[in-house]
Amino acid sequence: MEFFIISVIKIVIVLLIILTVVANLVYVERKVSAAIQNRIGPNRVGPWGLLQSPADVLKLFIKEDIVPSTANPFIHSLAPVISISVALVTFAVVPFGGSVELFGHQVKLMIADVNIGVLYILALTSLGVYGVTLSGWSSNNKYSLLGGLRAAAQLISYELSLGLSIIGVVMISGSLELDRIVEMQSGFQWNAFLTPIGFITFIVASFAETNRLPFDLPEAEPELVGGYHTEYSGMKFGTFFLAEYANMITASSLIVTLFLGGWQFPFLETFGLPAMMATVVQVLTFVTKVAFVLFFFIWIRWTIPRFRYDQLMNLGWKVMLPLALVNLVITGGLILAGLF
Amino acid sequence: MIEQLLSDLSFFKPELTLVVTFLTAILTDLVFRRSPVVVAAVCLAGFALTGIFILGQNGEEALIFGNMLTVDAFAVFFKVLITLSAILVLVFSLSSAELNTPGRSLGEYYSLLVALTLGMILMAGATNLLMIYLAIELSSMTSYILTGYTREAPDSSEASLKYVIYGGLSSGIMLYGISILYGLTGTLDLYQLNQVLATGDINDFTLLIAGVFTMVGFGYKISAVPFHFWTPDVYEGAPITITAFLSVASKAAGFAVFIRFLKVAFVDAGAGEVAGGFWTMLQGFDWPLMVAIVSVLTMTLGNLVALWQDNMKRLLAYSSIAHAGYLLMGVVVMGNEGTAAVLIYFIAYLFMNLGAFYVVMLIANKTGSEDVEDYRGLAARAPFLSLSLSLFLISLTGLPPTVGFIGKLYLFAALLNSGWIWLAVVGGINTVISLYYYVKVFRNMYLREDEEKKGRIEVGAAQLATLVVLLVPIILFFFYFPPIVEFAQASIRIFGTP
Amino acid sequence: MDLFDIVFYCFALIAVGSAVVVVFSRNIMYAAFALLFAFFGIAGLYVLLQADFLAVTQILIYIGGILVLMLFGVMLTNRVVDVDIKTGTLQIVPAAILAAVVGGSLSGVFYSTWSTVSGTPSDVATTTPAIGEMLMTSYILPFEIASIILLVALIGAAMIARRKT
Repeated sequence: MEFFIISVIKIVIVLLIILTVVANLVYVERKVSAAIQNRIGPNRVGPWGLLQSPADVLKLFIKEDIVPSTANPFIHSLAPVISISVALVTFAVVPFGGSVELFGHQVKLMIADVNIGVLYILALTSLGVYGVTLSGWSSNNKYSLLGGLRAAAQLISYELSLGLSIIGVVMISGSLELDRIVEMQSGFQWNAFLTPIGFITFIVASFAETNRLPFDLPEAEPELVGGYHTEYSGMKFGTFFLAEYANMITASSLIVTLFLGGWQFPFLETFGLPAMMATVVQVLTFVTKVAFVLFFFIWIRWTIPRFRYDQLMNLGWKVMLPLALVNLVITGGLILAGLF
Repeated sequence: MIEQLLSDLSFFKPELTLVVTFLTAILTDLVFRRSPVVVAAVCLAGFALTGIFILGQNGEEALIFGNMLTVDAFAVFFKVLITLSAILVLVFSLSSAELNTPGRSLGEYYSLLVALTLGMILMAGATNLLMIYLAIELSSMTSYILTGYTREAPDSSEASLKYVIYGGLSSGIMLYGISILYGLTGTLDLYQLNQVLATGDINDFTLLIAGVFTMVGFGYKISAVPFHFWTPDVYEGAPITITAFLSVASKAAGFAVFIRFLKVAFVDAGAGEVAGGFWTMLQGFDWPLMVAIVSVLTMTLGNLVALWQDNMKRLLAYSSIAHAGYLLMGVVVMGNEGTAAVLIYFIAYLFMNLGAFYVVMLIANKTGSEDVEDYRGLAARAPFLSLSLSLFLISLTGLPPTVGFIGKLYLFAALLNSGWIWLAVVGGINTVISLYYYVKVFRNMYLREDEEKKGRIEVGAAQLATLVVLLVPIILFFFYFPPIVEFAQASIRIFGTP
Repeated sequence: MDLFDIVFYCFALIAVGSAVVVVFSRNIMYAAFALLFAFFGIAGLYVLLQADFLAVTQILIYIGGILVLMLFGVMLTNRVVDVDIKTGTLQIVPAAILAAVVGGSLSGVFYSTWSTVSGTPSDVATTTPAIGEMLMTSYILPFEIASIILLVALIGAAMIARRKT
C-alpha cells in the first residue's frame, strides 16, 4: 500500500512538471527561433510574452472540435490519446535522481524501477507509430494518409538504429536497468565518450523518432498540408502538439540518461555534501542537462533544412543502420580488449 | 560448456561448410553480378567439400550442441544422398533453358540451393523437436522461394503460393502437435521423450492426437496422402531442376527425420536387440498400422491419378507420391530389415527419378513442351534420350534389368518376412497399375508417329556425359548390387537406440 | 480468488475476447486492431508468469513490428479496407469434428499434467541474462539456424519485390 501511495505521488508530481514544461517549451522554442531569425518573437501576452502559452492552450480548448464526416470517429479520437500516452509513459522509467530518504522511506527518484528498463523504452517507442499512423488513416484524407504512411515508414526505419545504438550502452554497462546504466557513468565516464558513434546515431534517430526537423516529413507543410493531423482541430490538435513536445522531453531525458551521465554530477561524492543536498544537486544536474539537449533540439530545427523523403530513407537504411552496427562491433571489440 | 561447444564443432564441419558456402555465394553474387556461373562454381566447390567432410564422418557417432543434432551412420547415409543429389541438380541447372534466360539473375538461385541443402542435411541429423521443426522450416522456406523462381511463368508463382499456404498450414499443425507433446512430457529432446513415454504415465488419447499432428509435418515433407495436395501443382510449376531436387532430396530428408523420430522416441530403448531386428514399440500408439494405412492410401492414390496425367511433370509428380507410398511400406515393418530396404530403395530412387526429370528437362529445353502427347515419334528424333528415359521409367516401375528392381525386391522381402502379406499384395497391385502410365510414355516415343516431321533433337556433350553418369548406376547396380545393399545395411545404425 | 487470479482472468479475457473479434470481424481494420489488444493480453499474461523479457519482446516485435507492417499493408491497398472478408460458415461438420478433437486433446493435456504444475511461478528477478546465456550455449544451434532462416526469408522477399528486369 505504501509503495502504491508513493508511486501515485511520484506520478502526479512528474506529470505536472512535464506538462508545465511542455507548455513553456513552446514559448521557449518561439523565442529561440525568433532570436535565430533576428526577430522578437511573442511579446504581447504578459510580460515578455510569457503568458503566450497559457493563452494558446485556452484558445485550443474553446475551439470547435471538428471530426470529418467520412472519418472513423472512434479511431480519430483514439489516435491523439495514443500519441500523448506513449510519450508520457516512456518517461516512467527514466531516473531523475539517486534515491532519497523521505519521511522514513527510501524513495528512488524514478517512477517505475523496471529491471528491463531499456527494453521497456524500446517497446514503447515502437508503439508511438500507432498514433500517427492511425490518425492518418482514420481522417480519410489523402494528405493525412500520406503523412501517416510516411510516419510509419520513418519510425520503423529509425527504430532499428535507435535500438542498435542503445545496445552498445547495454554492452558497456552489462545491464538493462537505467538506474544501473546511470550509476556506471560516474565521473566523466559518460557513454557519449565511450561510444561516440552510438551517441551520434542515437541522437539522429531520436530526431527522426520525434518527427522533428530535419526529419519532420510526416507533416511537411509545403507538400502535405499538416500531414497526419491535417483533419484535427481544437484540443485534439493540441494533444498532438503536446505529444510532440512531450516526446522531445522524453527523448532528451533518454539521451541524457543513456549517454550523458544521467543525474550524475561529476565527482559530486568528493564534495562531501549532506545527502539531501546531494540529491537536490543531482536532480538539478539532470534538469540542466535535459534543458541543454532540448535547446539543442530547437537549435537544430531552426538551422537545418528538411530532408527529401528518399534522402531520409537512404540515410536511415544505408548510413545509420550500418553505422550503428559498426558501433556494436567496435564497442564489442573494446570490451573484449578490456578497455572498459 | 564453451569447450564442449567448440569440440562439437568438429562434428559439424559439413553443415558449417554449407553455411560458409551460402554466405560466400551471396557475396560472390554481389561481385560477379553478370556471370552466375562463378556463383555456381562456388556452390559446386562448397558441395564437393561438404561431401568430403560427410564421408569423413563415416563411423563417427556423437550427440552435439546440447543434444540438438546427432552424427551417426543413418545421418551420414542421408547426408551423402542429399549432397549427391544437390550436386547433380546444380549440374542440371547449368544447362536448363528455363532458368538461363537472358536478364534473369541466377545468383540467388544457386545460393538458395545451398541453403535448401543445409536445411535437409539438418533434418537428417536432428534429435530435438525444436531442431526438427527449424530444419523443416529452413528447407520449406527455401523451397517456396525456389519454386517461384521463374516468376514470369504464371504457374510458377501459383505453385509457389499454393506451396506456401499448404506448407504454412501443415507446419502450423505440426508445431501444435509438438507443443502438445511438450505439454505431455515436458521435453523436446527425443531421447528424454522416449524415457518419459516409457514410464507409460501418459494419456494415450492425447498422445495419439499429438502423434498424428506431428506426423502431418513429416507427411507433408514426403508428400504422403492426405498431405499431398501441393505436390502436383508445385512439381508442375517449379523449374524442373527444383522439382527433381524436391522429389528426391526433400523426400529423403523427410523420411530420415520421420524414421529417426519413430525409432528414437517410440521404440522401447530398454528392450535391447530382438531376433530378426524388429523394434519393440512402446505401448500406447499403434504406429505400424497407422503408417500402413497412410502407405496404402498414398501409393494407390498416386498411381490411380497418375493414369490420367498428360503432362510429364505432373505424371512424375504423382509417380513420386506413389513412391512415397512404397517407401512407407518399408517403414511399416518397424525393423532393421525394413529400414535397410528403404535406404536401398532411396539409392535407386535417387538415380532413376533425377534421371527421368533430367531427360524431361533436356527435351523441354529443345521443344519447350512437357506434354506427353508431344513425345510422339521422339525415338526417331532423339534416340539416346528416348532410350534413357525408357530405362529410367522401367526402373521406376521396378522391372529388371534396372536398379529399381533391386529396390522393390528388398522392400517386398522385408514386408513378407515380417508378415505384412496384405500390404505386399497391395504394393504389388500398385506396381502393375504404375506400369500402365509409364508404358504410355514409352508407347508415345516408340510406337506412334509424329504427323509433322520435326528435326532431330541434338544434345551437347556435357549433357550426354551427365546422362551417362545417371544411367550407369541404373544398370550397374542391377548386376552388381552387393555394394549398395551393404552400404544401406551398415547405415541403419541410429545413435542411442538398440 | 486473490488479486493474481483476478488480473489473470482480466488479461485472459482481453486476449481471448480480442481474438474472437479478430476472427469474426468483417472489417479488416477492426480485425487488425483487435489483434493489437490480443497481443497486449498475451503480453500481460507473460508479465504475470514473471517472463518479463518475453512480455516486452512480444510488444516490441508483434505490436511494434509485425502488426504495424500489417496495418501498413492494409492502408496501402485501400481497396482491401472496404472489402468484406468472408467469414461465412463453410464445412461446418468437419470443422466441428476437428474442433472437438482438438478441444478434447487439450483437455487431455490439461487433465494429465494438472497435478505436476505448481501453484505459483518461481520468483525470479529477471529472466534476461538466463535467456541470453541459454541462447549462446545449449540453444546456440537453433538460434543460429533461425538466423539463417531469416536470411533466406529476406532474400526471398527481396527477390519477389524486385522489379522485373
